[in-house]
Amino acid sequence: MRRGSARALVLVAVSALLAASAACGSDDGGGSGGGTVTIRFDWWGNPDRAEVTEKAIDLFEQKNPNIKVETSFAEFNAYFQKLATQIAGGGAPDVLQMDYRYVREYADRGVLSELDSGPAKVDTSGVTQQLLSGGTVNGKLYGIPPTQNTQVFSYDFAQWDKSGAAAPKAGWTWTDLTAAAQKVSDSTSGAVRGVADFGGIEDWFEVWLRQQGKQLYTADGKLGYTVAEVTQWWQLADGLRRSGASTPAELTTKMDGSQANDPVTQKKASSGFGYDSGFTAKSWEIMGREFKLSPFPSNTGKIGQYAKPAMMFSISKQSGHKAEAAKLINFLINDLDAGKTLGMSRGLPANAQVRAQVGGTLSGPPAVGSQFEQQIATQLEPAPPPPPKGAGTAKSTFQRVYDDVIFERSTIAQAAEKFLSEAQKAIST
Amino acid sequence: MAAQQTVPQVDPGPRGVTASRGPRRQRPSERPGIAYLFLSPWVLGALLLTIGPMLASLYLSFTDYDLFTSPGWVGWENYRNLFADDPRFLTAVWVTLKYVLISTPLKLAAALAVALLLNRPSRAQGFYRSAFYAPSLLGASVAVALVWRVMFDGGGVVDQSLTVLGVSTGGWVSNPSYALLVIVALAVWQFGAPMVIFLAGLKQIPQELYDASAVDGAGWWRQLRSVTLPMLSPVIFFNLVLETIHAFQAFTGAFVISGGRGGPVDSTLFYTLYLYQRGFTEFRMGYASAMAWVLVLVVAVITAVLFRTARLWVFYAGEEGR
Repeated sequence: MRRGSARALVLVAVSALLAASAACGSDDGGGSGGGTVTIRFDWWGNPDRAEVTEKAIDLFEQKNPNIKVETSFAEFNAYFQKLATQIAGGGAPDVLQMDYRYVREYADRGVLSELDSGPAKVDTSGVTQQLLSGGTVNGKLYGIPPTQNTQVFSYDFAQWDKSGAAAPKAGWTWTDLTAAAQKVSDSTSGAVRGVADFGGIEDWFEVWLRQQGKQLYTADGKLGYTVAEVTQWWQLADGLRRSGASTPAELTTKMDGSQANDPVTQKKASSGFGYDSGFTAKSWEIMGREFKLSPFPSNTGKIGQYAKPAMMFSISKQSGHKAEAAKLINFLINDLDAGKTLGMSRGLPANAQVRAQVGGTLSGPPAVGSQFEQQIATQLEPAPPPPPKGAGTAKSTFQRVYDDVIFERSTIAQAAEKFLSEAQKAIST
Repeated sequence: MAAQQTVPQVDPGPRGVTASRGPRRQRPSERPGIAYLFLSPWVLGALLLTIGPMLASLYLSFTDYDLFTSPGWVGWENYRNLFADDPRFLTAVWVTLKYVLISTPLKLAAALAVALLLNRPSRAQGFYRSAFYAPSLLGASVAVALVWRVMFDGGGVVDQSLTVLGVSTGGWVSNPSYALLVIVALAVWQFGAPMVIFLAGLKQIPQELYDASAVDGAGWWRQLRSVTLPMLSPVIFFNLVLETIHAFQAFTGAFVISGGRGGPVDSTLFYTLYLYQRGFTEFRMGYASAMAWVLVLVVAVITAVLFRTARLWVFYAGEEGR
């Protein structure tokens, strides 16, 4: 077998490699030659959002007959896993939806296009500077927020009233929340807890930190807090859990941002923290009752909330059609008709003109959300700069380690220590 | 070696004396290239889809590859960090070992028990065989894992039944003490594949052995221990090796049931799940590649150990003289 067969084997191997490289080579160039250009637009969201997004895209294609847009969407976590693989494989979408927490990660690794100059320049004159700073990394704009949102406390006011819990009012404190939640739990013998356990969600911890003049991340991308703050925050939440005012561990551990696993939606808790962009036209229907919104409780008089870019649009560096991609983003952000179609599906529009127009047409939960946002607009601070690389990991670590607390696997101080060491590793490597 | 076996053997040669040729000898006029031509689809697949990516991942395991930027060489750092600086890695190893040690024997026992039940002549045998095999066909599917999660979740069928019996668990899926058992149960339920192999093995055992032992007065239990199990031991060994490797690679159930998080309290953080988290949600593909290679080595070592011990308990008919 020796000689001849070895040669044959090499031949087969070489031809296989050639075939493979040939297949890779024919990938570029397609589509740009003729009159029509096809661009891809990927985003995360739910079917609700998909419906209006498709309508807005149709409108865009009507106005730009030489551009065709292919879209695809997925749920948040799946979206980012797919996006990473696509970019690594050289098949990134032209326009992509980016998250505030990931924008630095992607921009630093050089996979996003600059949007304030060059071929992918987008007109951002209608968007407030405060919001744009959320998509600015090292002085360059990599993501444009189409919408803003802010943190919110929502409560089932009928249930609270029935239980004799004092409704949140201006200047309410964490102690007020604890007392009110306890009343709800007591009056239902624990069947409906006063509040969904908030201890494991880094977003709410951030608001609490800001109430004390601290930050989640410092300007140079380091952690803005120590073990002491995490311990104190978890002690606050742990107190509510132990007294039965908040949800038990087996419900809390399932919270993943989806409605299916949200104790408030499931009527296991009567209030909780969230983002005001979460209230869509069908929210009351899905949750089975109506809610009122309030700013976070605070012991310092500062509510600590900020106008957050609900999401961003970015253009991939690999895109061969940057000008067309920029055109699409421009349309989605600034066009009044697009704004009318999209409504509040991604949060409160960032473009002031679009916002004014949408504001008048709202009803139901989105109207409640929009009113809330306008009511506290003067108290909102500007968004902090995008968090450092690894911030996404730090956030999931926060929730994972909090499980140690609620299942009482370690002391709060030990858990806080463990979290800090893991978070530091996540953002430094 | 595979190539040697596929060398055409029918050619009688000029003198027509094939039988006298040693198996390893070959005449220059033969064209082994033809064999490779026919093998080429497989060779292509193996090179491009298995060996190529494996070598690439071996290289990546020595780099800091993050999916986006080009990989930079870091030497043994990933491997060192795994063992010295990553408590979750050790947790994942422990969870996976527990899973392998519990689920594999249970699954094999279930498969053997059902195979024994089905190994009696009956008209409905075909039906039962298909019925018991069905869960394995659905095995790797996400849908079954989703159903499993709903069943064992708080307020699910299992939770409600236990509540009726006076045991309150609040759902197994979100209880760190029971969550792993949910996935073990899912694995055991999918015993179909080893069951079919056991069944085939049982049919190979000569009836004379049973007849002879019955004449000697052996009962069912005695026959099982002295005839069935020894005669079946090669098949048991085969299934054991296969299922052990499968168990080390388990992913879907843990991913779906824990929502990709391996929780609560990392109680279902399977090795492959942690690898996936590192690679695809934390963008540390170099590190994930190192984990993959550690897994390959560990599975190889354990398989080798199993083959070693096989000499002690696996009985091959016709080898009595050894």
